[in-house]
Amino acid sequence: MAYLNVEGAIKRYGPTTALNGVSFSVAQGEFFTLLGPSGCGKTTLLRSIAGFSQLSEGKVSLDGTDLLSVPPHKRDIGMVFQDYAIFPHLTVAENVAFGLKARKVAASEIRDRVAEALATVRLSALSERLPAALSGGQQQRIGIARAMVVKPRLLLMDEPLSNLDAKLRLDLRDEIRDIQRTIGIAAIYVTHDQEEALAISDRICVMDGGSIEQIGTPQQIYGQPATRFVASFVGTMNLLQPSTFGLPDVPGVAQWALRPERLRLAEAGAAGHGASAITGVVEHFTYLGREAHLTVQAQGNRLVAQIAAPPPDLVIEAGREIQLSFDRADLHAFDAAGQRLQTELAA
Amino acid sequence: MSAVAAPARRIGWRPDFWTLVAVGAWAILIVLLLIPLGLVLISSFRDESGQLTLANWQRLFTSTRYFNALINTLIVGFGGLAGALLLGSVMAFCMARLRIAGGRFVSMMAILALVSPPFIGAYSWIVLFGSGGIVRQTLMGWGINMPPIFGVWGILIVFAFKFYPYVYLLTSGALANINRSLEEAAENLGLTPFQRVMKVSFPLVLPALSAGGLLALIHAIADFGTPRLLGRGFNVLATEAYTAYSAEIGSNLGMATTLSLVLILMSMIFVFIQRYMSRRNVYHSNLINRPEKIQLRGFANVAAHAAVYFIALGGAMPAIIAAIYSIRKTNGPVFQPGFGLESYSRIIATLGDVVRNSLVFSGVSVLLIVVIGTLIGCLVARRNTAQSSLLDATLMVPYVMPGIVVGVAFIAAFNTPPLVMTGTAAIIILSVFIRRLPYAVRSSAAALRQVGPSMEEAAISLGYSPVQAFMKVTIPLILPGIVAGAMLSFVTAVNELSSSLVLYVGGTITMPVKIYIAINDGDYGTAASLSTILLVLSGTAIYLAFRLLGRDERALL
Repeated sequence: MAYLNVEGAIKRYGPTTALNGVSFSVAQGEFFTLLGPSGCGKTTLLRSIAGFSQLSEGKVSLDGTDLLSVPPHKRDIGMVFQDYAIFPHLTVAENVAFGLKARKVAASEIRDRVAEALATVRLSALSERLPAALSGGQQQRIGIARAMVVKPRLLLMDEPLSNLDAKLRLDLRDEIRDIQRTIGIAAIYVTHDQEEALAISDRICVMDGGSIEQIGTPQQIYGQPATRFVASFVGTMNLLQPSTFGLPDVPGVAQWALRPERLRLAEAGAAGHGASAITGVVEHFTYLGREAHLTVQAQGNRLVAQIAAPPPDLVIEAGREIQLSFDRADLHAFDAAGQRLQTELAA
Repeated sequence: MSAVAAPARRIGWRPDFWTLVAVGAWAILIVLLLIPLGLVLISSFRDESGQLTLANWQRLFTSTRYFNALINTLIVGFGGLAGALLLGSVMAFCMARLRIAGGRFVSMMAILALVSPPFIGAYSWIVLFGSGGIVRQTLMGWGINMPPIFGVWGILIVFAFKFYPYVYLLTSGALANINRSLEEAAENLGLTPFQRVMKVSFPLVLPALSAGGLLALIHAIADFGTPRLLGRGFNVLATEAYTAYSAEIGSNLGMATTLSLVLILMSMIFVFIQRYMSRRNVYHSNLINRPEKIQLRGFANVAAHAAVYFIALGGAMPAIIAAIYSIRKTNGPVFQPGFGLESYSRIIATLGDVVRNSLVFSGVSVLLIVVIGTLIGCLVARRNTAQSSLLDATLMVPYVMPGIVVGVAFIAAFNTPPLVMTGTAAIIILSVFIRRLPYAVRSSAAALRQVGPSMEEAAISLGYSPVQAFMKVTIPLILPGIVAGAMLSFVTAVNELSSSLVLYVGGTITMPVKIYIAINDGDYGTAASLSTILLVLSGTAIYLAFRLLGRDERALL
């Protein structure tokens, strides 16, 4: 079933280890994302698959054949770069045709396929322009068309949206996802933006310090983070000290965690069955329209609460005492090593 | 790369090809730089009979002649530096901050001053201010007695006007790039205009000012033609080294090499001092607010224009004089009243091989410089290993080697087997090649760093082998820079005097050498017309470079 297989990938740069025994597999047609902070090894891993960086140890196979013994230009793997890497001396159409020429495709076929690829990324009107005059978003569209048009066996994307502004990032994100689905190609996408990863991926691999923290669907990564690192890197997480807010001592639990959207405003003493009440002092109140953010100090914990659809008359001054409550079933539990624990409380 | 990764690496062509380039680069540096330099060092510790001795070094400090040359070199070095700093910073300030009419013309004059060989400068100053100079004669006719330009003051004046463009071009760039908000902030914080200049503007342009000053200083202590023609008994290390080498009777290679070593050491010390001074002073500003040019009024405006045009025309004067004198009527070596093209027809008739030598030698050395310099540049830019940094550092050495030293070193190395090249065209071509190679390496490495590795990686991921990717993507992208660099190398090569003067024989005489000989023989018509041909060649090359590179005078430095 596995299409791409990475086994025990290790990469050392002198005394430092950039990849510390990483294994995963990607299925045909799957959109797989490597997510992590900068320096976590995700780009090294991607470049090793492309062949621009050599693993110190480990195996990579694609469609059942060993990849590491194949030189980079014969791997037939498309790549989209963070800095676009559009050839400035070639026109938009020539950029897209570049890979087809290397494959000795007939001129007439090149013309058709380039036209089709440019239509897919909505750049047909600009095909004879030089790229220097184009915007970042347009350049990255060329990069995507150029990588896709050769119908590679695998598509790699190295933070392709990180140099674009926020609005464009959302648009192009959806476009990339649509194009990948239409073609049905397996893709590996590298990003440090957790929201982007949740939005675009079939599965996400969260990495930190050269190791995999968790592999799972966006729902699993967000809803059942396997480690404390994943919990706080993907989305926001309130970390609660044990033995606060009347939480029972559970053997092994070093820390409780709670998503901000699971905290709600409550009347004093109104916590129901299976719920805990919090009394705290408001530090900040930020009204954002569709939601409101509260920062609250309570029993030595600093908690963030996100109130969805706040009533228009909701105004909370800083310094005021406030009641919050949460369901204990929404708690996540982590042991001293930061690993997720299954408890009865956090069922 | 770790050993474990080796099997995967071998698949590519790169390790083999670039290892080959590295080996070739080291071979070139060892044969053309390190061995000649080593022999210079050894030779300075030998007497005529080949015995080891400290006599040469002893003579340097005990003989008044050589000690004076050492002191004189420092005098013209720092005097030239002071003059260049004065003229250059006045010019830079006026051009960067004031509205000056005819700015393009002024910067063209600065380029002209930069590319005209210094010995043409010396010659033109003699024409105007020498014993029989026009200006001096005219003034004497009016009863004003002025001393002829010979001696130390003459050299300093020529150096100031010749080397000010180094300071001007670097400093005006820095001045125009100071964020205006910085000066406004200082003003807003209550600093007086003088305090503002001293505490804000000056520290910000200091790196550029010191870099320009260093270039002026190094060129001043290395210059051979100007003190030779204007010195009249005022000798510097470069001229003494040449004399020691070329004396008909008692040629003393040991003394020549000792003096050469002192020159190299001096240049190196100045380079390190400048590096040390500007080690922390690299400021990058993301420029939002360019300083505005001020329109002066009344007397101040006239004074600023007078200063700028005085400096610009003073610097370009040698080239202008050479051009005018080249079309004066001559009868043999003697000027006649009126204008004519006799000098040029004489060149066509008798000096065709000199012009051809210059063009062929420069062309071949530029070709070598471009091909080998680009390859080494790629190596230095793309392979960040200790070995390639050492290569880069070794390439700094020719930067500080005066031409006369390269000439003497090549004689020391290639006069005896295993490699005898003295008297051949090859030795002249190679001497120009090794002197200019560092510039080509630097500029191609810089161009390559601009391209960035992801371009090539994109091509590889699209199915091109690394060689194909390099040829189809990288080369087209850096080609304009390489060709422009070649044009600028050509300017240096075709104007080269001092090393060729040591290395030439009858059959390998070049235009600058012929000009030098013609001036010494009093054949000014020939000198002027050859100089004009040189200037036209240089001007054409610079025009082409600017067309390719965009107009950037600083590329000439």
